Amino acid sequence: MTEDILINGPITQAVISSRLAMLGSRKNSGGHSVFIGQVREDIQDGRKVKAIEYSAYRTMVIKETENIISMIQSEFNDVKSVDILHSVGIVMAGEISMFVLISASHRHQAIEACSKTVELLKEKLPIWKKEIFEDNTHEWEQNPLA
Amino acid sequence: MEIKVLFFGVLAEVTGSSHKHYRNIESFRDLRLRIEDDFPEIVHYYYRIAVNNDLINDDPVLKEGDEIALLPPFAGG
Repeated sequence: MTEDILINGPITQAVISSRLAMLGSRKNSGGHSVFIGQVREDIQDGRKVKAIEYSAYRTMVIKETENIISMIQSEFNDVKSVDILHSVGIVMAGEISMFVLISASHRHQAIEACSKTVELLKEKLPIWKKEIFEDNTHEWEQNPLA
Repeated sequence: MEIKVLFFGVLAEVTGSSHKHYRNIESFRDLRLRIEDDFPEIVHYYYRIAVNNDLINDDPVLKEGDEIALLPPFAGG
C-alpha cells in the first residue's frame, strides 16, 4: 500500500529537506530529479490569486498513486524510487503544493521519469483546486487533460 | 439498497455538501434521477463517476453499500 501522499497545507522547506536528506542512503542511484510545484500569483480579469484551496478524494488518490508508480517503474527500469507529496487545504501564493523526487541509476531516466510522473499526477489524481483572489472571490480551475 | 454519494470540487459547492446517503435505490439511473431532483443545478456541470474508487464509463450495476463519487475535471499540481 502506498503511503498517503497528501499533506495538510503547504509543503514546507523542512519536509523537502528531510526528503533530500534521505538521498545519501540510496547508494545504488547516480542521479535524482526533483519537481517542485508552487502556487503562482496569477492575475485573472484584474484579480490577483492570493491562495489555492486544494481538496482531494483521498482513498482514490492513494489508489491512483499506486497505479502511477507502477506505470513509471515498468516504463523506466532504471528508476529506484518515486517520492510524491501533494498539498490539501490552503496554500498561499509562493508556497509549495507539489513535490516529486525520482532516483535512478542514471540521469536520463531520472529526468524523464520525473517529467512523466508530474504529467500523470496532474491527469489522474482526483484533486481539485479553488483559486482564491485578493478580493476573496474564487474560481474552480481544471487541468487541460483531466 | 443504500448508496453513499460523494461530491467533490465545484460539485461540493453546488450541492452544499460533501456527501449524502440515498436509501431504497433500485439502479444507477434511479440514483442519478434522485441526485438531480435534489440538486437541479448539477446538470449544468461536467463530471465523471467513480464506484468504490474506480472510474467507470458505463452505467454500473450497483450493490448495497457502494460508494459513488461525482468527480469534476481534476486540477492537481
